[in-house]
Amino acid sequence: MAWSIHLAFFGEGEVWPWLGLAVLAVLLRHGLQILRDWSGQQLAFAVRADLREELIATATRLGPVHLSHRGHSGSWASRYQEQVDALAGYYARYLPALGLTVAVPGLLLAAAFSQDWVAGLLLLLSAPLIPVFMALIGMGSEQIHQAQQERQNRLSGHFLDRLRALDLLRRSLALEAARHDVAKAAEDYRRLSMRVLRIAFLSSAVMEFFSAVAIGLVAIYVGFALLGFVEFGPAGELTLFSGLFVLLLAPEYFQPLRQFAQSYHDRAGAIAAAAELAPVLQPPAVTGQRSEPLATVSDTALVELHNVTVRYEADAQPALYGLQLHIRRGEQIAVVGPSGSGKSTLLALCAGFIQPESGSVTTGAAARPFAWIGQRGHLFHGTLRENLLLGAPYNSSDAELGDAMASAGLRLDDPTLPQGLDTPIGEDSRGLSGGQAQRVALARALLSRSLFWLLDEPTSALDPQTEEDLLTRLLAHAREQGITVLVATHQESVYRRLGRIVRLADGQLQEDNGV
Amino acid sequence: MSDLSFLRQLFRRRRGWTTLAYLLMALTWSAAIALLALSGWFITAAALAGAGLLLGFDLFTPSAGIRAAALLRTLARYGERIVGHEAVLRVLADLRSASFAAIARLPLADQRRMRSGDLQQRLLADIDTLDGVPLRITGPLVAAALAVLGAAGLAGWLAPWPAPLLIAGAAAATLAASAVAAHFGQPRSRALVERRSRERVALLDYFGGLPELLAYRRTGSYEADLRRREREQARAVLLQERVALSADQAVQAVVALGALAMLALALGWHGEGQISAPVAVLLALMTLGLNEALSSLPGALWRSGESLQAASRLRRLGVSPPGTEGPPVQPFCRSGDRPADATFRVEDLAVGFVEQAPLLSGLAFEVEVGRPLVIHGASGRGKTTLLETLAGERLPLAGSVALAGRPLEQWPEPVRYRAIGYLPQQNTLLDDTVAANLRLGLPGLSDEELWAALDTVELADPLRREGSGLDYRTGERGRRFSGGQARRLSLAWLLLRDPPVVLLDEPFAGLDASLEERILARVTPWLQNRRAVLVTHAPERLPEGWARLAIGSGGQ
Repeated sequence: MAWSIHLAFFGEGEVWPWLGLAVLAVLLRHGLQILRDWSGQQLAFAVRADLREELIATATRLGPVHLSHRGHSGSWASRYQEQVDALAGYYARYLPALGLTVAVPGLLLAAAFSQDWVAGLLLLLSAPLIPVFMALIGMGSEQIHQAQQERQNRLSGHFLDRLRALDLLRRSLALEAARHDVAKAAEDYRRLSMRVLRIAFLSSAVMEFFSAVAIGLVAIYVGFALLGFVEFGPAGELTLFSGLFVLLLAPEYFQPLRQFAQSYHDRAGAIAAAAELAPVLQPPAVTGQRSEPLATVSDTALVELHNVTVRYEADAQPALYGLQLHIRRGEQIAVVGPSGSGKSTLLALCAGFIQPESGSVTTGAAARPFAWIGQRGHLFHGTLRENLLLGAPYNSSDAELGDAMASAGLRLDDPTLPQGLDTPIGEDSRGLSGGQAQRVALARALLSRSLFWLLDEPTSALDPQTEEDLLTRLLAHAREQGITVLVATHQESVYRRLGRIVRLADGQLQEDNGV
Repeated sequence: MSDLSFLRQLFRRRRGWTTLAYLLMALTWSAAIALLALSGWFITAAALAGAGLLLGFDLFTPSAGIRAAALLRTLARYGERIVGHEAVLRVLADLRSASFAAIARLPLADQRRMRSGDLQQRLLADIDTLDGVPLRITGPLVAAALAVLGAAGLAGWLAPWPAPLLIAGAAAATLAASAVAAHFGQPRSRALVERRSRERVALLDYFGGLPELLAYRRTGSYEADLRRREREQARAVLLQERVALSADQAVQAVVALGALAMLALALGWHGEGQISAPVAVLLALMTLGLNEALSSLPGALWRSGESLQAASRLRRLGVSPPGTEGPPVQPFCRSGDRPADATFRVEDLAVGFVEQAPLLSGLAFEVEVGRPLVIHGASGRGKTTLLETLAGERLPLAGSVALAGRPLEQWPEPVRYRAIGYLPQQNTLLDDTVAANLRLGLPGLSDEELWAALDTVELADPLRREGSGLDYRTGERGRRFSGGQARRLSLAWLLLRDPPVVLLDEPFAGLDASLEERILARVTPWLQNRRAVLVTHAPERLPEGWARLAIGSGGQ
């Protein structure tokens, strides 16, 4: 473009070929930039898919016990969605910008030097100033940010906290006051955020300022040189072409730096996300033997624990210590002990959710698949039917589903199940109480036809009478079908009814009144 | 109201800030255009003057203009960012309190659905998504229009009519492209937002239901489902991003080609002697300068569905734009509304969820001062539902609950809560100080009164030992308190309200036997001094002289 202008005004040749060349250059440039953006995105999405795959793999490897030690399911979901996306931004924008910042200004600088070394020098000198100032200001904002982090987190959590407490606020006649509080906290949050932002924007303003000054300087230098006022250096050889050329290069020279400054936010977000994701993706610290199928033992044995010790990541004390336990097929065992004595850990071991630090767990073929009923049965998003069929190995008939529900103490014509088996339950439409959810979990276990049941305080959400009724039915069913049952409980009414009692205290087996 | 007018109303309240931000944005871009155009003009003029082709060239005015434009651009950009973020953050703050008010006004049943932590997170994300509207869509549209008008005006003044027409044409092409992008992009980005929230549900099921999935060997199919969602979503997002990024580049290319066309035209006019050489360069560079103003528009509009979808979800929740928020969330008490006494009588009451199948029916009793009523019986039979009905938080299916001879639903909410204190089974604490938790709705309570209540529930000593006393923070979801401590703090909350009627659901849950005994002994006179209803699974631990109501199988 500069060349055609030069030619036009100094009349030294044909303009049009050069204009045509410029058109081609424009098309080439933007085409290549599209390619650049696309490949950045491609990379980001490859990274995203890998990270998500790894999160799922880690979750399965950790098992539900270690998983819950690393945050509840909501925080795992936001790791999978928000944090992985934040990390992807680093690959989509920051890395390409970083590459451009290194490569492009260098090339353009060389081009500028080829035309006029003074102008090139002007650009060269102004560029390093920018990162220096930005770093200075960046450090300042980092400090402010750290100092305010806790307050900022608290203020941003205030809204959710008050939302959770709506009932309490209503009963306290404090709703109106709370609404003002929410407004005030949001206002404080804004003020605090602006304090950080002002500094952050200052750093990009510095960047802008230097680039503007440099462009202005180049323009004025070129102007004066063309007028012949500059006596030194190559100024005398400067033509309209080289002047315009250098001038048009100058903004392009700073463009990658500006993009880099903008993508710097992506980097900060990605670093925070990486700091959160990295420890989560660590393999569990326990390096025990995996449970092996029970091959050599007689067919009456179902699960054998030899000298098993289990320790959770952060704890010095083992959760279970030197445990010996043999579970035979068809046994009904109560695991009792005060809370924290390792009942749940023992169940998780038998389920294969965790591996021992030392010792070995061997399981017979009949122990897989097994039925699991935790303290709070999980209801999956979907209909009641879908929830019941989760464990069923075949397409059970509606009548069978209804029977299982009835055995679990919840009838299909219950008013909380307006559409019977097709009633939507789960996350969005809770509808069911904790006790009812537990009954659905029991019905699921009944339908699964598993020969090994692990129940972790299954009736704690029920009252004594209901609990009594339900257990009577379940245990009778288990005896009929030859199902092995392991129940963790602290309720006497439960363990009195079982053939064998395993007592735990401080992670050790106290007594085992087994046969 | 459509999603769009919701957005418009939302930002209207902060019109001053947003307008200023738009103007500053326009100023930034105009200064950038001026900087480029002036520099080109100056160099060309200087070259011609240096070659002796231009006489009487004033060197200092344009170079001062270049410096001014450079400075102005920096200052205007800094100002635009500050003002723009002020505007957005103010709107988001407004929106938070408006959302809180909207949810507080929902019917209780709907409101309780919002208890799910994940729904709340999504609400917050929706609010935050709206910040893109002024900074990325409206602002650039307004500012680009202003910058284009300025440039076209200047071109019209300096050169023949095709010059402004060319500039207007480039702008119109961009606008048309933006409109097309908005038309095709909006449904896609709306679908993307919904897909993401469905993925969230699947994730919660996977991570939350892992024990069941492992037990029943269903992890495989659930993982495959997550993978399929990830693949589909990645494909959609990738397309979304690529179109947006390519649109940016396409506009830049169009503008650059426009600049070359302008140059070709200007050279022609220069050849005909209509304009001077410096002006010809100025025209071309000015056109090139429009790049920054126009390039982000189609991409932003392509993605605008995200904000619209967030707005539509907020609207569905009942959030109205701030400024139109209506009556207070909880009416104030008028003095004439006070009940004459606190007689509390239940007649022929049926409670439950569905009229055809009440959990309990035919209940009739009157609660008397001095003789608290103990309700016991199997769980799942409706004890908690009964207590909620007695508190007036649930309408009776039949019969009535009368306070001072008038059915509960006829008393205004504040009167009802002032007369009836309800301690539900679940503890809720604010993430705030102990004092703030106890002083809720009763800001006038003195420290001494708070300490006395804490003494009754044996929380005073641990708090004094801890050092910060009443300023001790309970932590997020009361995490710094054990279940038993939280229960005792809730009891202290009720003691301080001191209402004439109290309803307590398992008041001593989570306390060990000896602590329960000591606290019961201390609060027994207080309970006998008013009308009290207690729900418990262990009625034998309560004084024998109190009235008993057993709720057995099959209702009353």
